[in-house]
Amino acid sequence: MNTNSNYSFKKILVPIDGSKYSEKALQRACEIVNAFDSKIILLYVVEKSLPINLLDRKEYLKILRKFGNKTLEKANNVLLKKGITAKTFLKEGNIVAEIEKVVKKEKCDLIIVGNKGLGSITRFLLGSVSNKLAQSSSCSLLIIK
Amino acid sequence: MTIKTKKILVPIDGSKNSIRGLDMAIHIARQSHGTITAMAVKSVPGIYAIHPLGFLDFSSMTEVKKFLNEAKVRAAKKGIQLTAKALVGDPGYDIARFVNNKKNKIDLVVIGARGRSSAKEIFLGSVSNYVLHKSKKPVLIVK
Repeated sequence: MNTNSNYSFKKILVPIDGSKYSEKALQRACEIVNAFDSKIILLYVVEKSLPINLLDRKEYLKILRKFGNKTLEKANNVLLKKGITAKTFLKEGNIVAEIEKVVKKEKCDLIIVGNKGLGSITRFLLGSVSNKLAQSSSCSLLIIK
Repeated sequence: MTIKTKKILVPIDGSKNSIRGLDMAIHIARQSHGTITAMAVKSVPGIYAIHPLGFLDFSSMTEVKKFLNEAKVRAAKKGIQLTAKALVGDPGYDIARFVNNKKNKIDLVVIGARGRSSAKEIFLGSVSNYVLHKSKKPVLIVK
């Protein structure tokens, strides 16, 4: 929770999924970092949901992890070009729950997410995730359209 | 450094949460040298559009004006220009329409997560939710 005196965004969490929207969110995060001199934390969550459990799980998770690392690297490169260093995390589990956990652990002041995520086929960071975050997260949320 | 948020819309309803949203907006406006538009919507049930007596109830318009003035003073203290706007209608719908109107050139909406208690029912979390879904511009939710 922000108190009245504390409106500077010290730590900003940017959950990414490799979609266009999350790139946009990252761009916006850069602007804010420049203005407020804050730290960025990048997060990619490998989703572990029921349908994946039933199919060949190991293979699928492996691919997702690889993809996650790749997107994190890409995002990191974008930030490095602008002279920003960021912490990166790769987590596994329920997306919203993991994001919340990181927020608590790292004491973030702001989450920046895209409006929507990847398409329903890839099933990761949907608009639903932004929506759930808006309702349940304990810190401020900036939704980029 | 430049942030492209020149015009910030802050819907306020006089609740603590909306004031917090306003403070946040002031903070951002200072960084980006932007201006703030504060907007207060007095909720009127749709039925009053037909019922002539509905229009007689302007008593709480003074209340709306009061906290808009408070907001003005608050922003002026920090040296931010604030334009106030008071409307009568459905809060969620009117805010979203205002945001999406290209003429207004809103770059960011800063909104409190929750407004007044449901007993007073002017601005619920539902309004934040509605604006969040309908607006085509970035939305910052202040908790």
